[in-house]
Amino acid sequence: MDRLSQGQIIAAVAAVVLLVAEFLPWLGAGGSATVTGPGGGSVTVGGSENFNLWDGSTLDIYALIVGVVALTPAVLALSGGAEEFSFMSAATFLLGVVGIILVVAFLTVDFPDGASRKIGAWIGLVAMIVIAYGGFRAMQEEVATEI
Amino acid sequence: MDTDRLSQGQLIAAVSAIALFIVSFLPWFGTPEVTGIGPGGGSITIGGNYNMWEGENPLDIYLLIVILVALVPAALALGGGGDQPLAPIATTLLAGVGTLLIIYQLFDQPGDLGTKIGIWLGLLACAGITVGGYLAMQEDIGGERY
Repeated sequence: MDRLSQGQIIAAVAAVVLLVAEFLPWLGAGGSATVTGPGGGSVTVGGSENFNLWDGSTLDIYALIVGVVALTPAVLALSGGAEEFSFMSAATFLLGVVGIILVVAFLTVDFPDGASRKIGAWIGLVAMIVIAYGGFRAMQEEVATEI
Repeated sequence: MDTDRLSQGQLIAAVSAIALFIVSFLPWFGTPEVTGIGPGGGSITIGGNYNMWEGENPLDIYLLIVILVALVPAALALGGGGDQPLAPIATTLLAGVGTLLIIYQLFDQPGDLGTKIGIWLGLLACAGITVGGYLAMQEDIGGERY
């Protein structure tokens, strides 16, 4: 674990958060209404439904790929694998930056009409930002080590 | 335009990126068309074909980024700009992931949405960008081999 740079640890922790966030609600649809029935009792009609990232968006597999790439250096370090992670840091940064663009696009232009944004989407966005930051920091640390 | 300034890998990636952009306007998905009578008595047709830009799916934005990442280094090289050493790596990585996303999309169709010719051509074009980026990477590492 000592072989991991601070940036790689940040990216790895954020990757775990992202992978968990994929299973939280990202969007909610519909609504419910409670009406009073003829006998005086209340009846709830309709109901809202939440959807996680795996329910119908290509973003699910992309977030999985970003999470795996960000986690790989940590997994290799823990298992005593190869020490050379330089390409992985650049890949983590690049995929993280593109991931931020995709999540922002999903939450704005691609968001279904009438649906609401749920907690998973915001946690996913923050995790993607932290992954990109971790990848960038790991790249900087590798350059500083080489100097 | 002096295409000799481009390496073979850059050229393959750039041509594939242009092809992917053109293909993105072809039908990628489709549902069977059903025509019925609307409330006012007029006929209504539901279903039809959708190109890459018409789906509520982040794939369109992702592939646009792939196209730009593949084309910008080639445009800079043609304009006499400096070397972009990380460009072939970025092109290979992003286009490789893009190819995986398109393959995943082929097997992850909601409802009765079917695949059309555009998605298959898009898959070929995206794989072409990946190969071009990889060749450009190899050319950068080992000098001009081709």
